[in-house]
Amino acid sequence: MKKFSQLAVPYIAWAVMMLVLPIALIAFYSIIEPGNSIVSISFTLDHYVRFFTDPDFLIILWRSMVIAIKTTIICLLLGYPVAYFISRCTEKWQNILVLVITLPTWINALVRTYAWIGLLSEGGIFQQILSFLGLGNTEFLYTEGAVLLGMVYNFVPFMILQINTSLCKMDHSLLEASADLGANQVQTFWKVIFPLSLPGVINGITLVFLPAVSSFFIPKLLGGGQYFLIGNLIENQFITVGEWNFGSAISMIMAMIMMLLMMLVRNVERRNHGGKEEA
Amino acid sequence: MKKENRTFGKIIMALMIIFFYLPILYMIVFSFNEGKSLTHFTGFSLRWYEHMLQSHDMMEALYTTFGVAIVATAISTVVGTISAIGLSKSKKIVRDLMEQIDNLPLMNPEIVTAIGFMLLFITFKVEKGIVTMLLAHIAFCIPYVILSVMPKIKSLDRNLADAAMDLGATPWQALTKVIVPEIMPGIISGALIAFTMSIDDFVISYFVTGGGVKNISIVVYTMSKRVNPSINAISTLVVLIITIALLVINLVPVLAAKREEKTNGHTGKRLIPVMLVMAALVCAGLFYGVRGGKNSAPYAGESLYIYLPGEYIDENVVKAFEEETGASVVMENFDSNEQMYIKVANGESYDLLIPSDYMIQRLMEEGYLQKLDQEKLTCFDSMNEFIQDWSYDPGNAYSVPYFWGTVGIVYDKTKVAAEDLEKDGYGIFLNEKYKHDVYLYDSERDSFMMALKNLGYSMNTASEEELNAAYEWLVQCVQTMETEIVTDEIIDNMAQGRKALGLVYSGDATYIMAENENMGFYLPKEGTNLWADAMVIPKNANNVELAYEFMNFISEYDAAYANSSYVGYTSPNEAAMDDLYDGEFEGIGAYIPRTDNENDEIFEYNESTRKIISNLWSKVKIAASNAK
Repeated sequence: MKKFSQLAVPYIAWAVMMLVLPIALIAFYSIIEPGNSIVSISFTLDHYVRFFTDPDFLIILWRSMVIAIKTTIICLLLGYPVAYFISRCTEKWQNILVLVITLPTWINALVRTYAWIGLLSEGGIFQQILSFLGLGNTEFLYTEGAVLLGMVYNFVPFMILQINTSLCKMDHSLLEASADLGANQVQTFWKVIFPLSLPGVINGITLVFLPAVSSFFIPKLLGGGQYFLIGNLIENQFITVGEWNFGSAISMIMAMIMMLLMMLVRNVERRNHGGKEEA
Repeated sequence: MKKENRTFGKIIMALMIIFFYLPILYMIVFSFNEGKSLTHFTGFSLRWYEHMLQSHDMMEALYTTFGVAIVATAISTVVGTISAIGLSKSKKIVRDLMEQIDNLPLMNPEIVTAIGFMLLFITFKVEKGIVTMLLAHIAFCIPYVILSVMPKIKSLDRNLADAAMDLGATPWQALTKVIVPEIMPGIISGALIAFTMSIDDFVISYFVTGGGVKNISIVVYTMSKRVNPSINAISTLVVLIITIALLVINLVPVLAAKREEKTNGHTGKRLIPVMLVMAALVCAGLFYGVRGGKNSAPYAGESLYIYLPGEYIDENVVKAFEEETGASVVMENFDSNEQMYIKVANGESYDLLIPSDYMIQRLMEEGYLQKLDQEKLTCFDSMNEFIQDWSYDPGNAYSVPYFWGTVGIVYDKTKVAAEDLEKDGYGIFLNEKYKHDVYLYDSERDSFMMALKNLGYSMNTASEEELNAAYEWLVQCVQTMETEIVTDEIIDNMAQGRKALGLVYSGDATYIMAENENMGFYLPKEGTNLWADAMVIPKNANNVELAYEFMNFISEYDAAYANSSYVGYTSPNEAAMDDLYDGEFEGIGAYIPRTDNENDEIFEYNESTRKIISNLWSKVKIAASNAK
């Protein structure tokens, strides 16, 4: 039996090399002076100071947060009813509908985002419908709305699947009990169903919010060259500007913020979950 | 009441399905479009599929995507399963720690993981390419496998393996005959997740790749700026492959279960891994089969790595070169000279680069380029005298011109008054009459050129005062004019007349004017940037001889003519240029660059000015972004 534990040794070495070291390197690059050779390394916090003292960067960080929050809220509002509907179907339909929702996520995200360009571009279907309805020539492509749409499109399946999982796990006799005790459907929903589905909602929120904040190809494809989110700022530092130290610092800042938010969410979840079990 | 609820639910469900599938359907429909438009369907045709099959880039990307996914899935499934078994028997502290580590790629933003890999490979000087891509994919796939195998192992009876060994099984037998079959469902779902993650990946591949290795995501990302329906074709192909794979995976267990009901045997369970292995073998066979068959020409089996701007070469010319020499050409594209510089300065090896004048000067000064052996070059005989011996490379000791031209204003003759152009020059970009109708090109050099020229300064100025004035000019432009700052999408958008004004390279202007006769090209008297892009050989090139062959080949009349006609940029081959101007591009003034204005300048490289301009331009873009 004990012999089997040795099977993990190569992987532990690999994981330290391929998973821990890269993050350590980002942290390292973020606190050294640019252009350092290995011989003379000097440490500095300038990159962090630069980020936090320039209002332009802070605006971009703020905008990334805001659009991620908007995306999360829309995904929740759209995803919950769909997940709820699926959970109330027969098992056969549940399987089919879950497959229907999952299928697009198997197709390359970039390809699916690219597909929106034709739909949204000038003279595309959306604009034609709107101008047909007399709503004028609204521009879609390369606006913030397009970015938001792209994000919702890419991430809403995660929300649906998470909520659906926790709704399906729910004990249906609870609903009958609630009805027997005189609650109407609305009350049953808010007092029984919704609280029980909270773990799924919280998982869904993290699975949507995290990629939404850091996304850089959705804003680039649908937002145009001048729509900057924090992910684009990082990409720009590494690919075109070449200031890796500053780019590393921004990456660290983003990773830290995400980690704090995650811990916060996990805490809420645990407290909620703990409360449920006691009750 | 309950009924009503269901209808509401059904409507939402239906809308959601439409939302999910509409773009995909739209894309599939337009992959069969006869025309180039992404918005108007003009008739059924397979030309974009033909285009795709002929495109070296796209086919390579298809192989790379599926090849990497299959190999990464196989390795990460085996390693992940073995490690999960090992970990489950390890001390609790090790197990907990490893769980945290495994969570790193799952919990970190993808771009952070990607940058981590990139820094890792660069710090340890691992050459970026297919190997690094594969390593990175394996690294982020294994945690998913462990995550899905672990619960199955935990639910296993702890004494199972011991019992097997008591009964005389070796540890290896206990593992393969007892444990693995029990946890098979976990292994299969782990493998499926790994495969999807690998196929789907863009961000990580984008940052760790090099040497011209691209997967489909990277191809779509780099090509998405131009209207190119073959992207739709290749996307449709991917959708088709994945849908079939998914259906097989979902149907096999159902069919197997049915058969199991009938025969009450265990064949069904065995069938799944067998099917998966078979599918993998078929794919692998295709992968290697199609790439076989090379002839025995002088450079047979050798490769030429070229790093050049996107959409900057006629693939048929490349094919002709491959046929003549027997070598295969691997092309990688960059968006900007700056992007290219970063890769080259980091030691990535290419045989041939095609940067712009000022960048050649920089690469030269910093010692990245080889001095050319003039004996081996036959191309200068037929070359236009005017573009030889420019200030960036005196005597063309290091570079062979590839395309050249100017930068000017493309304008819609139906919307823009000619006298405004005459009167304002570049200042027309501040004329609020054309508010909301202006494109800027995302190039720091050319944007500052426009501003500096309009202010009456030299575009090579080193004066901070003048540069700051230009910065103010540009900020005013993006804040008051509601400009859009674009890259190559400007070409198709101007060709469709979406904006009235845009700052455009002369070669792109040629294409735009050839597509749309309402478009004109204006070069302000204030002067412009006279530029040349040229071929250079880096010091760390592997195949210098082949690079010389290519430089000579592409400069000869036939190749130069075809290339210039395809791309629209002006050929340095004088006869090719003249013939094109007399023929295909007749009357399109943008094709023949202006050579007689004393205000026109060639960029000179200056490190400190570059830094200032680069910083200021980022700030202009951020100002534009924040002005919305």
